Amino acid sequence: MKIARKRKYRATIPTASTGDIAFLLIIFFMSTTRFDVKEGIKLVLPQAAESQEGKTKTLTLTEKEMTRFQIFPDGQIAVNREAPRYIDSEELDVIIQQKVQINPDMIFKVITDREAKYNDMIKVIDRLKAAKIEKISLSTS
Amino acid sequence: MAKFSSKKRRDVAIPQASTSDIAFLLLLFFMVTTVFVQEKKFWVERERWPFAESIERIPRNHTSTIYVMRDETILLDDIPTRIESSEDVFVSQTLIRKKAEDPELIVCFRTDRETKYGVMSDVMRQLQDANALVVAFETQPILKK
Repeated sequence: MKIARKRKYRATIPTASTGDIAFLLIIFFMSTTRFDVKEGIKLVLPQAAESQEGKTKTLTLTEKEMTRFQIFPDGQIAVNREAPRYIDSEELDVIIQQKVQINPDMIFKVITDREAKYNDMIKVIDRLKAAKIEKISLSTS
Repeated sequence: MAKFSSKKRRDVAIPQASTSDIAFLLLLFFMVTTVFVQEKKFWVERERWPFAESIERIPRNHTSTIYVMRDETILLDDIPTRIESSEDVFVSQTLIRKKAEDPELIVCFRTDRETKYGVMSDVMRQLQDANALVVAFETQPILKK
């Protein structure tokens, strides 16, 4: 008579793929994480007038040395003594190029009205920066 | 008669049992060390920033952000303030302290593009008083059609 041998079944959980799952999770988080990178227009402000007392001297600059962009509350821009008008980015580029051709060391002064929009000021600064102008002065009217 | 020793085939295996532990340790490390930006009183959405083309990347580790809303409320260090008169020197006081902690400080403006320039001018004057002269205006790139 045959006696049936008791077989012992070994219960195992397959763990070979856990490493793959974990690495997939890492890749998922790595690819979906968005870092808060700061991007913008960088400028260096001049020192406060009080801290420079005695060190400064008054200069009178002509139109050949300095160009004034005056920004009005309605978004119109006046170049030097010209009448204010709406100027788009392309035209600004042309004006800046013309001024730089007259004098490569041209200083650009951006005078913004207190009631004017911040966006209009940024538009002018952006075009100046795009033309690689370093001598930019900010002022308020 | 000589005995022939039978050739034994040895299995070459790299133990992989611990890879999952390593991966989970990595996961845990990143989960523990990630620092989320704390909630702000208010936030100027990226969609509200001005557009620009000549954008440069700004090293984040030396920056301090000033939020300026359209209603001229300023947020610095999670404290909302307004500049009503020349006596409101919260911005310059805070930045003097920050400048002392980090001499390479860059002040970033996250400003709504519809904001009036007057408030920006007032803030920049306070930056000059605090000798924090490097500023950055955060912008979003112009989408080209």
